[in-house]
Amino acid sequence: MSQTPNSSLQFAFDCPLPNGLHARPASQLSEIARRFASECSLSNLRNNLAANAKSVLGIIAADIRHHDPCILIVDGPDCESALAALQKFVEQTLPHCDVPLASVSQGGSKKALPRSLQKANPVVSWGSQVSRGIGMGKVVILSRMTLPPASDSLRATHPHHELDKIKAAVAGVRHRISDRLKYAGTPVGTDILQADLAMAGDVALMEKLASEVSMGKSAAQAIVETGQFFINLLGNSDNEYVRQRSADIEEICLQLLDEIGGRNPAASIKLSEPCVLVAEAIAPQQLLDLDRRFLKGLVLEHSGTTSHAAILARSLGIPTLAGVRNARLFLTPGQEALVDANRGFAIAGITPGVRRFYEREQGAFRRRKQLWSLQSGKAATTTDGQRIEVAANVLSGDELIPAFENGADGIGLFRTEMIFLSREQAPSEEEQYAIYSEAARRSGNRPAIIRTFDIGGDKKVPYLNLAKEENPFLGWRGVRLYSDHQEFLQQQLQALLRASAEGNIQIMVPMVASVDEILQFKAALAEAQQRLRERGTSFQANIKIGIMVEVPSVAFAVEQLCREVDFFSIGTNDLVQYFFAADRGNPKVSSRFGVRHPAFLRFLDQIVEQIHLSGKWVGMCGEMAGELFNLPLLLGLGLDEISVPAAEIPSFKQAIAKLDSESCVKILDHALACTCVREVDELLASQSLQSPTQPLLSDHLILLDNESHSKEEVIQEMVNTFFICGRTENRQQLEDAIWAREAMGSTGFGYGFAIPHCKTDVITANSICVLRMKSPIEWDAAQGEQVSTVVLLALRESDKVNTHMQVFSVLARKLMNNDFRQYLQTIQTVQQIIQYLSEQLGIPSERGSLSITAPPQLS
Amino acid sequence: MKIVAVTACPTGIAHTYMAAARLEKVAKNFGHEIKVETQGAMGIENKLTESDIRQAQIAIFAVDIEVEGRERFNGVKVIQVPLQEALKSPENIFSKIQR
Repeated sequence: MSQTPNSSLQFAFDCPLPNGLHARPASQLSEIARRFASECSLSNLRNNLAANAKSVLGIIAADIRHHDPCILIVDGPDCESALAALQKFVEQTLPHCDVPLASVSQGGSKKALPRSLQKANPVVSWGSQVSRGIGMGKVVILSRMTLPPASDSLRATHPHHELDKIKAAVAGVRHRISDRLKYAGTPVGTDILQADLAMAGDVALMEKLASEVSMGKSAAQAIVETGQFFINLLGNSDNEYVRQRSADIEEICLQLLDEIGGRNPAASIKLSEPCVLVAEAIAPQQLLDLDRRFLKGLVLEHSGTTSHAAILARSLGIPTLAGVRNARLFLTPGQEALVDANRGFAIAGITPGVRRFYEREQGAFRRRKQLWSLQSGKAATTTDGQRIEVAANVLSGDELIPAFENGADGIGLFRTEMIFLSREQAPSEEEQYAIYSEAARRSGNRPAIIRTFDIGGDKKVPYLNLAKEENPFLGWRGVRLYSDHQEFLQQQLQALLRASAEGNIQIMVPMVASVDEILQFKAALAEAQQRLRERGTSFQANIKIGIMVEVPSVAFAVEQLCREVDFFSIGTNDLVQYFFAADRGNPKVSSRFGVRHPAFLRFLDQIVEQIHLSGKWVGMCGEMAGELFNLPLLLGLGLDEISVPAAEIPSFKQAIAKLDSESCVKILDHALACTCVREVDELLASQSLQSPTQPLLSDHLILLDNESHSKEEVIQEMVNTFFICGRTENRQQLEDAIWAREAMGSTGFGYGFAIPHCKTDVITANSICVLRMKSPIEWDAAQGEQVSTVVLLALRESDKVNTHMQVFSVLARKLMNNDFRQYLQTIQTVQQIIQYLSEQLGIPSERGSLSITAPPQLS
Repeated sequence: MKIVAVTACPTGIAHTYMAAARLEKVAKNFGHEIKVETQGAMGIENKLTESDIRQAQIAIFAVDIEVEGRERFNGVKVIQVPLQEALKSPENIFSKIQR
């Protein structure tokens, strides 16, 4: 301690805290400083940032880390006692006030990246997959702190007046935090709330707010700009912990905005180039308002994977991740980012290595689609001849063409409420007719099931003037509100009936819980028919009517309902949450009470059986149907149809062709006897799909003139080849199996050859894959071995007596033969290789319907 | 010289058989008579009989895992090498034997 000439006092120290001087100790330090009249300033000598020590935000922004040299300067009437108090705190309390911050470090995810991507060293953050696909673009962050475009909150009155509003809001927020403090429970919870409390009344925050209003801003605007200012300030810190505090300040500013009623919960944003949108959460309307041409990917911090925004994203085919922790800090606005919603992560910053990986990846998807499009037009039939329709879920007319291009057997669910959302007034009958008649025409003879509007729950429509409900999912939604909005219903029914003259339109009613609802609905339909007759307009008189099975009570009225309707479609999303009383948006309960819970499966089994006993048709259109993993259960249930996102149809048809219905019934029986979701998951994971029709050798498995640059890329290429021709859906596990063998010792054996091999059940058939490179690559760095021809032997693990093992051993022996190797290295065409190998190994070969010998397109 | 050999690798899909083929060929070049038992994914094949083993002057184990039925070779001179050596430089093995 030393006395300076202008009577200020100072005290130097090194920061003793391993996590730096973060929010909680900062709030304690600032609290002590505020007890005194003297000005207290804290300087970080490492980065020359100085802060008002009475401001938590200021201290945090000074980014004081472990061992940073700091100086506290106190100047004023009570400087001596102030310095003594601060020094006592720094020396005695500060070193011990740090609770270990377990969650600050990255969660140590065990999930692995593909080897060839690992090599590119990407910066990755994991989440859960909501809507599959890959998207790349500039990061745009959807701020929660936005104001309604034209509202009173933007108009400033006198600065004094605005400042008063802010002061009242701050008092209100502090009051609420203090209230919560009384019930905080844990010491850590108390500390966090206390830090929030300090932040809400922070000197620096108040100064910034006051200066904004003095410049003529409204209170709401001042809060938004102040929030933005501190978020940027903290967000730019190198310290992960400090960056996370920007989320706290955002939360406080949001509360301040709520306090003055100036917040716009669903602000829109304008996209003008390919973008990856990052948000805490997003409302369906916000998503619909975005220019989809530019929306390449969506990264959400909120973890719900079955929210309506998530369903919407899936239906629109936007690659989407949910539950990505701190996504808004991990991704920087303007930066290039990539969403890999197939594997479940986002990558910040696109390096050339990452770009090359994804160009190869997209090449693989292109070729797979090309190959499969030839087969997806056919009906989906199991190996033992059971047929199941694979229909598409759609939200808008735009999705009809891709649905049928992907081979949809019909439209299983056309959600019309999206036509009603995101607009100022209801769509007219003409407007609706245009959409429905397009669906009718495009579907032709195939069924187009159109669901009447399902509004309420989390889907709000301004012009219906729905009252705010305590519990909207259990309230006034779906068919229930039709009695209040007869004219809307009439318009929709008349539009649907008119369209029915042009194709196979079927009408489905949402949220039916009881028979009288369907009777009322049919009365409304009769009225619509009568009105059309009076107008002299034609329609399909015996149009089929069905209901959604999404309220459990339906299961106890199946017989009665079967007398009134023609078909049923199970909507698992709502059904499962009503069945278990478990909110699907709450991961704590939704993971435990999911659609694969044995109790729910028994419930479904009973419903399907009862409906079939009455001779009626039953499909499924919920998220459960769209997950390939569930397919054996769906076939086991004996559903007549499943309705899935359009992009998934080819995968489903391929997978159905590999299953037999009797085994699926057995799998379902086993699942029904399980006790929890985990057991069913394990049961399904242990079921390996095997295709009896895929031969050992095939055109698709011979790759010539390949341009891979490394061993990692060669293996990726071969794994992708299995994926392209439908021999695996689990590329990661196949790749891991191949690398596991490489880890035991390189499979290069000289002469420019390598023979990697694996045993795994993630392949559908034993396979021999041959890859010949344009120029040799290093196969094993330790031995400096150059390889240009790779022969991969892939064997199914569970086949006890593997008939192909004999062939593999012959091939292995022949590879020791000079002539054999030379022949493999020099034959010109794929066909010749197949023919030669077939002769030499004594096996029949498959003539593929499409020859794909070209290397992947590297654009 | 009469030689018996056993090849075995962990997965037993490829290298067991490659090494067997290699040993058979190089032995012939050296003018030896050889019989190779493979212990791979198909189990034991071309099994060495008691008399095969009794008549052999030496046994070669080209293996990366434990040999099944090792006790059969009690009393026989055994030379054990990593399987890779049988693949890459089998000549070395045979020149060692001759010395």
